[in-house]
Amino acid sequence: MHEAGIAQHLIDIAGEHLERVPHGAVRRLNVRIGELAGVNAESLDFAFECLSRGSVVEGARLEVERVPLTVDCDGCGSRTAVVDLVFRCGKCGGEKTRVATGRELQFVSIDVDEASREDVRASD
Amino acid sequence: MHLIDVQTGLLADNDAIAAENREMLRRRGIYAVNVMSAPGAGKTSLLERLLPQLAARWRVAVIEGDIVGSADAERLAKLDLPVVQINTGNACHLDARMVHRAVHDVVHGPADVLVFENVGNLVCPAEFDLGEDDALMLLSVTEGHDKPKKYPLMFRRAGLLVVNKMDLLPMTDFNLDDAVAAARDVHPGLDVVRTSCRTGEGVAEVAAWLERRIAAKRGVGAAPALPPLPPSPAPPKG
Repeated sequence: MHEAGIAQHLIDIAGEHLERVPHGAVRRLNVRIGELAGVNAESLDFAFECLSRGSVVEGARLEVERVPLTVDCDGCGSRTAVVDLVFRCGKCGGEKTRVATGRELQFVSIDVDEASREDVRASD
Repeated sequence: MHLIDVQTGLLADNDAIAAENREMLRRRGIYAVNVMSAPGAGKTSLLERLLPQLAARWRVAVIEGDIVGSADAERLAKLDLPVVQINTGNACHLDARMVHRAVHDVVHGPADVLVFENVGNLVCPAEFDLGEDDALMLLSVTEGHDKPKKYPLMFRRAGLLVVNKMDLLPMTDFNLDDAVAAARDVHPGLDVVRTSCRTGEGVAEVAAWLERRIAAKRGVGAAPALPPLPPSPAPPKG
């Protein structure tokens, strides 16, 4: 439900990074979203498409990598996948587990075209 | 093609301010609890019953989050406690920045316990750390027993699950055993208390749970341990 805020945050962060380097067209924003993060990829995509119009990342694609949910067991030390949202250890059934992966909400990188001479001049 | 490395957590700003809030509260030994639920589950009703019990022993302050209006803050202000209303505008949750100023005011006033009443929503508030010690969530029996696996992040976050509106149980198909089992799949070992804000059932147990947590943080004599969950009544036939 806060996808619009996250999309705007992505656009703002991208703007800050793109200001620092000469670049051509912005092709892709790569983000990593865990299965447990309360973010719907489709809503995020839609919000990004709307909010990016007129911004420096207009026309860029949002590439979402979903990260599967796993837990680390305090008892036996195993890392196992969370199946059917059961967070007990998949190996020993231990109850003391911590989420290892699946909570990510990370802006990883931006793919841009190499800067042409005009781009360099434009960024001066 | 050229790659610009960003590597920024999208909640990094919130987490940094939440850490500041937590540090301010820690320095003054103030225990903070973030109360969350779906709209209408009974957060304000529970607090109306609960806070007078806590206030008998601790100085309690409330930060009240609502999208608009101050109806809940007005209800709680009748308890003669300091209540700060925060209107989130169009945001569906409180975040660490929104409460930062109010937390600052609370730590400079007389307080032992700070209660955040979050915006009613089972999705977004779960993502936003405010700097609290514990999250308390309510699930009312009219919402259905399937909620833990629909909103797993919220049930993971919760330190205590309060199953509210128990007085309405006979009128619903809510299966308490299934709800608790699903909540404990998502959050093994989760403490559960059953309440009715109408009859007052279970409210003292919620107070005792909080008393133990407050005492643990402040390092003073603890309340007796939570009794095991009594067997639930048989689900209604039909």
